[in-house]
Amino acid sequence: MNRYLRIFGTFARACLVRDMTFRANFVLECVTSLGWMAMNLAFYLLVFTFTPEIGRGTGWTREPFFAFVATGLIVNSIVQALFMPSAEELTEMVRTGGLDAVLVQPLDAQFLLSLHRVDFSSFANGLVGVGLLAWAIPRLPQAPGPGALLLYPLLVACGVAILYALVIMLAAATILLGRNQSLYDFWFYLTNFSRYPAEIYSGPWGGPLRALCTFVIPILLVVNVPARVVAQPFTGQAWGMVAGAVVAAVASLALSRLVFQAALSRYRSASS
Amino acid sequence: MHNSSRPPSPPPPGSPGAPVIHVEGLAKEYRVFDKPEGLLASVTGLFRRTSRTVEALRGVSLTVGRGEFVAMLGPNGAGKTTFLKLLSGIITPTRGRATVLGHVPWERSDDFRRRFALVMGQRNQLWWDLPAAESFRLHKEIYRIDTPRFERTRDELVELLGVGTLLLRPVRDLSLGERMKLELVAALLHEPEVLFLDEPTIGLDVVAQHALHRFLSHVQAERGMTVILTTHYMKDVAALCKRLVVVTQGSILYDGSLDQIVDRFTSHKIVTLDLDAAPDAAAVARWGFPAEIRGPQVVLRIDRARISEALPRILASAGVRDVSVEDVPLEEIVAELFRSGSGAPPPRPAIAAAGAGGGP
Repeated sequence: MNRYLRIFGTFARACLVRDMTFRANFVLECVTSLGWMAMNLAFYLLVFTFTPEIGRGTGWTREPFFAFVATGLIVNSIVQALFMPSAEELTEMVRTGGLDAVLVQPLDAQFLLSLHRVDFSSFANGLVGVGLLAWAIPRLPQAPGPGALLLYPLLVACGVAILYALVIMLAAATILLGRNQSLYDFWFYLTNFSRYPAEIYSGPWGGPLRALCTFVIPILLVVNVPARVVAQPFTGQAWGMVAGAVVAAVASLALSRLVFQAALSRYRSASS
Repeated sequence: MHNSSRPPSPPPPGSPGAPVIHVEGLAKEYRVFDKPEGLLASVTGLFRRTSRTVEALRGVSLTVGRGEFVAMLGPNGAGKTTFLKLLSGIITPTRGRATVLGHVPWERSDDFRRRFALVMGQRNQLWWDLPAAESFRLHKEIYRIDTPRFERTRDELVELLGVGTLLLRPVRDLSLGERMKLELVAALLHEPEVLFLDEPTIGLDVVAQHALHRFLSHVQAERGMTVILTTHYMKDVAALCKRLVVVTQGSILYDGSLDQIVDRFTSHKIVTLDLDAAPDAAAVARWGFPAEIRGPQVVLRIDRARISEALPRILASAGVRDVSVEDVPLEEIVAELFRSGSGAPPPRPAIAAAGAGGGP
């Protein structure tokens, strides 16, 4: 474990050194993603000039909703920073045969392939998310209790785990297909559903979609559960969601492990 | 998990010369899909694809002892790289068994992976944008090399290759030869017992090739490493290996010493005559051997069994100033082997005759 931490430290250090070598690019990446996020926030502010609440009686008024958005920023920035660059690179490694070098090393391949690239510029959004959360919490209609605040990081971690499992399973598909350029697109479609409160999915179309995104591909638990725990009154129903998020996280990780191992054993290796 | 993964009764480890690599009937088949030309055919291909099976390796058997330096020679697509990928555990075989250091490679156990290294000449394993020193540091962690040992090994290898000044330069700024040297340092840092080299000299200039040859033979001898080297270049083989394995179309065509390949696959010697003046073609033809006239020089291919009888007769002809008798160059033999490589050894009619000193 200690060794894996040290190896991750080496990866992170190397990526930071590289990022600093191409400083202008690093700054540009930060600015681009902050700009995109600012536009989104402005859009949500605009929405709240037309309505006091998203969905009647849902409790997602302005401040709770911004706590929700902040949670989304935090979860997504962790995934984007830690796992996404590696997963994207896996596609390239399979195509060029770079995966060969990974497989001969005495190290868990899934660990190495999930974490060998860290994109530090993606943490910028997460930092803004933390700031936004710190702004929103004192302004909530009902302040979260100490229990909720303690649960919050755990549930964020569960959300990250669920998204990680999805990313790495999509990346594993690359190993089987030889090429998977649509990885990022597919990822975008999926996570799009996780960006909004689950309550908006209702009615004849919304209901089934909500069930699908909760129980089959549990992306609705990613942001919703931690956001709800911190931004809404903590009820008995919340415990069920907390348990659901933990179970979904563990199950997703286990499944991703199985899928990844199966994919690796079918690796064909590019011709040299 | 794999039916084929039972080790074939591993030999006692550690004993000098004991088999370190043992391979039995190793085969690898790939299913490839044909991509037809044209738009209509591509669309049809979405629904119904035609596939065929490509045999990259067809039942190869081989045993390599501790400390051996084996060269694997073969044309493109012969299966050399596939063979090394199987022995490295990168891919799993379709049939057959193999053990390396007592392990089944494609089980990818950490204990096995700590004890060997693979260097691929056409791939880059160092961090591209960073100095090699950073990649070495990562290696140290991955292979759990303790600091004193790491520093000692690194300094020794770096000195042998004379690459001390390159360690802190980003790898992308290095030449191919410099990069290859650093790749080798990285691969040897954990002092592997077995080293697989896949075309390490490809694209290198003569000076860099020589440097690598000197380095590899030194390190191999010093550490008693077991090495399998694949290459296209006879120079690599001649400089480094006593044992040669020739592979074409996924099968082993020859496995033996470098010297014996000449005896086994050629029936003649090359006799070069320097004459006073350009000879008369008809006179040369009368000697009765295939000949090539290059100005005042004649190159004859003479059956080995007939050399002793033919040479005095030819030398007696007027105007011979100098003569040399040589074996057919290795390149030529191997090229001939590659061409003929249908799995069956080429005809070798005169060998028995040559050995017995007379023909049937």
